[in-house]
Amino acid sequence: MSDYIRRLPVYLLLDCSGSMSGEPIEAVKQGIKTLITELKGDPQALETAFLSIITFDSSARQTSPLTELMLFKEPQIQAGGATALGGALKVLADCIKNEVRTSTATQKGDWKPLVFLMTDGAPTDNLDDGIDALRQVSTGNIIACGAGANANANTLKKITNNVLMMNNLTAGDMAQFFAWVSSSIKASSKSIDAKPGEAIELPPPPQGFVIVP
Amino acid sequence: MVSGTVLSAVLDNGNTIEYVFTANAPRGGMKHTFFTPDKQYAVQFFNDPRNAADPRIQDRIRTIVGIYNPTISEADGGAVGNTEKTAGYFRQRFCWPIAIVRQPQFGIVCPTYPQNFFFGADASTVLNLKGKDKKSNWFTGRNRKYLSPGERGNFRTMLGTAIGLSRTVRRMHQAGLAHSDLSCNNVLIDPRTGASVVIDIDSLVVPNKYAPEVVGTRGYIAPEVLATLGMDFNDPRRALPCVQTDLHALPVLIYEYLFFRHPLIGPKIYDPRDAEHDDFLGLGELATFIEDPKDTSNRPPDLNVTIQSLSKGLEELFVRAFVKGLHDPSERPTAMEWERELLRAWDKLVPCANPQCEKKWFILRDPLNPVCPFCKTRMHGQITQLIFKSEMRGRKGVYRDKSEAVVYDTMPLYDWHVFSNVHNDEKANTDISAYIAYYNGMRLLVNKNIDGMLSPSGRLVPKGSAVELKNATAFKMTGGENGLLCEVVVS
Repeated sequence: MSDYIRRLPVYLLLDCSGSMSGEPIEAVKQGIKTLITELKGDPQALETAFLSIITFDSSARQTSPLTELMLFKEPQIQAGGATALGGALKVLADCIKNEVRTSTATQKGDWKPLVFLMTDGAPTDNLDDGIDALRQVSTGNIIACGAGANANANTLKKITNNVLMMNNLTAGDMAQFFAWVSSSIKASSKSIDAKPGEAIELPPPPQGFVIVP
Repeated sequence: MVSGTVLSAVLDNGNTIEYVFTANAPRGGMKHTFFTPDKQYAVQFFNDPRNAADPRIQDRIRTIVGIYNPTISEADGGAVGNTEKTAGYFRQRFCWPIAIVRQPQFGIVCPTYPQNFFFGADASTVLNLKGKDKKSNWFTGRNRKYLSPGERGNFRTMLGTAIGLSRTVRRMHQAGLAHSDLSCNNVLIDPRTGASVVIDIDSLVVPNKYAPEVVGTRGYIAPEVLATLGMDFNDPRRALPCVQTDLHALPVLIYEYLFFRHPLIGPKIYDPRDAEHDDFLGLGELATFIEDPKDTSNRPPDLNVTIQSLSKGLEELFVRAFVKGLHDPSERPTAMEWERELLRAWDKLVPCANPQCEKKWFILRDPLNPVCPFCKTRMHGQITQLIFKSEMRGRKGVYRDKSEAVVYDTMPLYDWHVFSNVHNDEKANTDISAYIAYYNGMRLLVNKNIDGMLSPSGRLVPKGSAVELKNATAFKMTGGENGLLCEVVVS
């Protein structure tokens, strides 16, 4: 019977450039751990959410392929290098093309993927190439979160309308970000089809985060 | 504000209550929740301050906490006709708001769920579930396999869960209240014992009060509500949550408890281009029951246990709910009908002869073909049925059937098996009146606590003595007033 359950693909795009060294990257690792634990405690998320992680520094790669939560292994990540955000979007587009099942006349397809992007700086490669690649695939919500003083809201706005800014790169802020990602995934896995074509209602972001209008 | 800060809220009656602020407070569609320092109560506030400030919403919630409250006796300000006994009964089965918060903003106070609705440390060996609440879909979906066998219950406890839930929904509907968001998230269950508790009571639809703007939860929203979701809230064609939409959600939950699958989610593709739209149609306008007797387009190829494996009465109710009633709300069976049929089925439960059978119990539908539908094991030995009959008022010696039971060793019998005017409901005494014992090749009905029980020949059967259950005999459960006649059929 489980064949008829649709998957909710979730992609996390995480900035691992040199400026993330030290406390921020440790906080990201901790955040991923907490995220997995949290989602495994929610029956709907556990049943529907599949997670993938894409990291980017001087280049971008899929660190963890789209995997069900029970089998998900935390990726080995470290900080260093530049900020290939455009490359990350290209990798994301490829992964969605390869991993997300589309509906056919005989098979139920996956839900539209949910994408969370976190970056602390300006892209150092060609962002427009990445945006073009992403336009070719179907995504549900893309939420971009700019962290710290060097993140640029206007740049992120080119990728998606949903942009959040967090002022600091502290471990506390990072933990709040991952907690918010977790509640967003939980909320999506519950209300996913309420109105087709409408944006999923995500919970309000934590205190200290600013929604960029 | 820092998580862990203790804040103070002022209640409607002027008292104050303390609660602990947490930055990532658990958040539902409408409200977020904090707890009192002793965790005995939840203090809940609206996510949207406009809702909190809306006098129509406040007015509705005040009536829910007050005159519609089935968890407080009438004498203490609760619902009319509510005794302390029934109030106590429903306190175990509803997480009903008990007070209104006035400051810092409008909110409610609810008791926290009883401890048995939280997982313990040994609930799973592969997941850390300690302290998580027991949402129904832990037990009915594919997550079930991650739970320790001791958590999962069996067919009997799941049937008991369904009875308890239909009774609580019946109690709400009896007062004209509709829950509006009955779902796996808002019904917590404990399959070990068959207990259930209904939560999120504040979005009830109250007669003649401003309707809550709740849509419901995927999989439990009535098809007509989903199909008209895009229309304006005030459009007369738009279907809003009401008693009839609860009567869709209720059998979805019951079906999930009994079969561990969703009644509408099958292989049928409604829109191959778009998953979201496919679901919108498949759970809404075009929804098709996976066991529809005529339309098999949504039927999974591997259905072994079906509604035909239940009692005839339950089969008919499911057909009414999910075939006729799926797109015609007026056809849906009431919660009272569900409660009654589930109770009838309960009296036909028998233990499976196969000790390895995961379900342990099944409803014996055909005494001539006593086979467990789950593991296909055949029962050995004869089947003994009891038919309880009540004497018609003013027509001495004329009886009509009240209920039937299939006996098994150690089966308990209660007041509702003894008296024609007692029913198995929240008012009934749940002490065992009599029980069945298989002894030296005989099947005995042992009188535990009945005054005036009579043997087939009319002799008094004192407490501690028994009647042997022989085919085609009949005896009075009590010769006293309203006593039932018990007929024995052995096949």
